Amino acid sequence: MRLHLERTRFHVLQQDPPWKVVRAFSQPAGGSLVHLNNVSGGVLAGDRLALEVALEAGAEAQITTTGATRLYRHRPGAGDSEHSAVFRIGDGARLEYLPDPVIPYAGSRHTQRTTFHLAAGASLFWWEVLAPGRHASGEIFAFDRLCFQSEIRARDRPLLLESFLLEPAARPLTVTPRMRNYSYLASVYACQEGRAPAFWCELEDRLNNAAKEKCRPGEALWGASTLAADGVVVRGLCASNRFVSPALIDFWRLMRLAVTGEEPVLPRKIY
Amino acid sequence: MQILPDETSLLRLLQLADSALPVGGSAHSYGLETLAQEGSLAPENLEDFLGDYLEETGALDAAFVRRAWKRGDLRALSAEYGARKPARESREASLKLGRRLAGLVNAVFSAPVFEPGPTGDAFGGRTLVRAGLESRSGSEAEASRGLKPALHAALHYCIVFGAVGALFGASQDATALGFLHQSIAGLVSACQRLMPLGQSAAARILWNLKPAIVHAARCEEVWCFSPYPELASMRHGSLGTRLFIS
Repeated sequence: MRLHLERTRFHVLQQDPPWKVVRAFSQPAGGSLVHLNNVSGGVLAGDRLALEVALEAGAEAQITTTGATRLYRHRPGAGDSEHSAVFRIGDGARLEYLPDPVIPYAGSRHTQRTTFHLAAGASLFWWEVLAPGRHASGEIFAFDRLCFQSEIRARDRPLLLESFLLEPAARPLTVTPRMRNYSYLASVYACQEGRAPAFWCELEDRLNNAAKEKCRPGEALWGASTLAADGVVVRGLCASNRFVSPALIDFWRLMRLAVTGEEPVLPRKIY
Repeated sequence: MQILPDETSLLRLLQLADSALPVGGSAHSYGLETLAQEGSLAPENLEDFLGDYLEETGALDAAFVRRAWKRGDLRALSAEYGARKPARESREASLKLGRRLAGLVNAVFSAPVFEPGPTGDAFGGRTLVRAGLESRSGSEAEASRGLKPALHAALHYCIVFGAVGALFGASQDATALGFLHQSIAGLVSACQRLMPLGQSAAARILWNLKPAIVHAARCEEVWCFSPYPELASMRHGSLGTRLFIS
C-alpha cells in the first residue's frame, strides 16, 4: 500500500488486499486521519505486507489501524510473515502513527520492519505495543519467533535503532534481563528534527515525573529518556493491556502538547 | 578463535581489560542500582542475570567492538551504537568511558590518537574525543603511520576499545573477549557495593560466567532485547539515594 499526503489532500496511490484505507477524516486542525484496515482480520503465514507513506512538506496526518494486528500461527512449508512500513516525513510535516497492539498467536513467525525518515523540522509521534499473545485465554509468549526492527532517522542521523529477535523457547522472555514478570511492552516516541537538546531534557524530566506516578511494581513500570538526538521515548512494561492504553494516551498527550503546543485529537475509536 | 600474536599484546590487553583501569567504570551500574534497590537483583540471581544480560547487551557490545576493530568510520559506528541505547544514563556512561579511555590511550601512546573535540553527544556535550584510526595492521608502528587527520566525534566505550585493540595488535576475538570480561567484572564489582555479595561469591560468579562471555563475544549481530534493565536505567534518576552515576 502506498499513501501520499499533501497539505490538504490525501491520495491512495495503490492498495492491494488485504489492506484497505477505510477513509480519511479531516481533523479540526486541518490534518487527515487515516484508518488502515486489514480485511483478512490478521496476518497469515507467508504474507508480505508493505506500507509506504509519504508526507509532503507541511502535511499533517494521523494514521491508525481499525484493530489489533493478529499474527496467526505459522503454517508448515510457508515462509514467515513480514510487515514492512516506511514513512517519509517531509520538511515541517507531522506524522502521528498510532497503531493498535501486535498480538502474536501461538506458533506464529513474523518479521516487522518500521522505518521513519524525518526531513528538516519534521515531527513524529509514534506508539507501539507488543502483546504476549491471546492473553485473556492464557496464551503468553507461545509464538515461535518475532523479529522487530525499528529505525528513526532525522536527515540521515540515527535517532533510534532497535533490533529485537524474540524466540521464547530458546531465550525465555520472563527473565530479569528481558521482561521479568511483565507481558506487554509499550513504547511512545516523540521526535522533531532540529529541536534544541535542552527542550528534550526538560521533556524527559516531565515525562519521568508522570511515569513515576504510573509505576505499580508487578503491574506496570514506565520510564522516559531522551533519544540519541531530536527526540524522547517513554517505555513501559505491563502485566495487562488495561494498564497500557490509558498510559500511552496520557504520555502521547504530554508529548504532543510540549512539542506542538496543541491538544491532540484521539483517533476515532474506543480505547 | 584467534587470540593474541605475542606476549606483549597479551599483557597490554590484560591492562586494557582490567576493570580497575582508570576510566571511571566503577562509578556506573547501568541501571543495576535500580534493580538492586527494588529487589529484582540479589546475590542469589546475579549469576543467572548476568548470563542472560550477556546474551543481549553483551552480544550487542561485542558486535560493536568487532566492528570498531574492523572499520574506519568510527564516528558513524558510534552514532549507530548510541541510537541502540535508548536509556540516556547508560548511553552517557558509555560516552564518558569512551572519552576517558581515549584520553588514557593518548597518554600511554604519547600521541594524539584520540583528541578532545568541541562538540559531544547531543545532550550536553560532555563527551569529547577525536578519532582517526584506520590502520588495522596489527603493528603499533604501522598503526601510528595510518592515523588520519582527526575527526571530532563522541565515541562510545566499546568503539574506542575495539579501535585500540586493533591498534596494539590484539586480535578481533581477543579484543571482544577483553571488553566483555572487564564489563562483567565491573558489574559484579558494582553489585558488591549494592548487595551483600562477598569477595569469594563475586569471584565464583565471574569464574562461572566465562563460557557465557566467550559465547557472547562471538556475536556479530546487533540483536538486543533488554527492556527491563533499560527501564531500570531510565528510572535510576528517580531513586532517593544513589551510589552510582548511572
